Amino acid sequence: MTVSTDAILEVIAEESGLDAAALRPDATFEQLDIGSLDVASTLFAIEDKFGVAIDPDQLNPASTIAEFVNLVRQLAPS
Amino acid sequence: MSRKVVLTGFGCVSGLGIGLAETWRRLAAGEGAIRPLLREAPPDHPARRMDCPAAWVDAGACRAALAAEDLRPMGQLDPLSLYALTAGLEAVEAAGLRGHASLERRTAILVGCGSGGNTTIDQAFERLYARELAKVHPQTIPSSMMSAPASHLALLLGCHGPTFVISSACASSAHALGEAMHMIRSGRVDVALVGGSEACLTLGSWVAWNSVGVMAEDTCRPFSQERKGMVLGEGAAMVVLESEDHARARGAKVLGELAGYGSSSDAADMTAPDLHGITAAIRMAHEDAGLAPEEPALISTHGTGTRINDPVEAAALHAVYGPALSGHTVIATKSAHGHLIGATAAMEFVIGMEALARGVAPPVLNHLGPDPECDLPLALRPEPIDHRVLVSNSFAFGGLNAVLVGRIAP
Repeated sequence: MTVSTDAILEVIAEESGLDAAALRPDATFEQLDIGSLDVASTLFAIEDKFGVAIDPDQLNPASTIAEFVNLVRQLAPS
Repeated sequence: MSRKVVLTGFGCVSGLGIGLAETWRRLAAGEGAIRPLLREAPPDHPARRMDCPAAWVDAGACRAALAAEDLRPMGQLDPLSLYALTAGLEAVEAAGLRGHASLERRTAILVGCGSGGNTTIDQAFERLYARELAKVHPQTIPSSMMSAPASHLALLLGCHGPTFVISSACASSAHALGEAMHMIRSGRVDVALVGGSEACLTLGSWVAWNSVGVMAEDTCRPFSQERKGMVLGEGAAMVVLESEDHARARGAKVLGELAGYGSSSDAADMTAPDLHGITAAIRMAHEDAGLAPEEPALISTHGTGTRINDPVEAAALHAVYGPALSGHTVIATKSAHGHLIGATAAMEFVIGMEALARGVAPPVLNHLGPDPECDLPLALRPEPIDHRVLVSNSFAFGGLNAVLVGRIAP
């Protein structure tokens, strides 16, 4: 399955309560005030929707939205 | 200095609608919100045989209304918190307190809840037990904990004062209102945002309620012949209480007074009502308010519509008021909005105060004729009233009773 960038952003928006338009590619989770529980929720929803299990250690508060999107897309089964 | 506790804002959401204006419009028109609820279980699931009457909230409209407010992110909101926020914001807006300095340090938030976030819990359990998945949503605990609605209101309004949930089943929000009244009387806070919320129309919760054997298959008919039981509703109602001094100092419009509170524990039975405990709570509320039993009042009953509860409440009213009972007007609005469990007392208090202000008693719906065991001066159609006081009864499972007395502003 190909996972689109928009689909990933939609999950982040849903789980963080932020507007998808606010999720600039170069912004970090920290800058967007997306806390650790929201990150955990996002990882949970990504695994649920796309079958992509991400080790939380692969992310940190300084990870950008673009880095996260690329990680999900790389790991998504094709 | 007066520590009299006045009412300056109301908010509510239930099957009747979002907001007090729509709620009152439908009540005054004699409309009810109880209708058949079709469950989301698969067609061959045994629970589908339990499709039932209920009074549910348009949660989608609630979420849309809240989203339009452009509020700060607060994590996943179970309907329990969604309803509390909807009603709480309405009450604070109505009181003109949004952004007021007193919210920060001098305000308490007390929310009555009979249970936690049932939807969130059901969804988690469905993953574990039905789909045999290993993980549940990371926000399952913070979203479903019973205290979440109080925390969400504090987050939203920036309140740093005492904030918690009170739970006493069907009397939860009456206890919340009464205890908050005492917090203001004692000077601990100047303002309280207080009420109740409940969102219990999930399959898991409903099957559990049904197994108690108190649910009606048709509708809710308080004090009527052929009544078959209670009907579940959901929603929230919130009230702004203030010390009279605080309200006057900021020029707030005073809607009335929370004048009295009585509470008692039957210590008798986990489900059956107890005449002594109930009459004690009603008398205590009258004494606290300095209200003579003879003064004509609007009496908002607990009035669940079960075979057992209604005659005991009727007997308690006769015991407390004697011949003076005929001068009172008795209502039972669960016939319109269903039983909101932890939120029901606050909903009924708000409706009762609105009824006094409008001079109209909302009718007891679905009544099929008098039951000699429940001989009460019921308002069976919208009835003009000129009472100045409300007595609002709540008698919960577990024998926990709470009665509130409200007075409208002169």
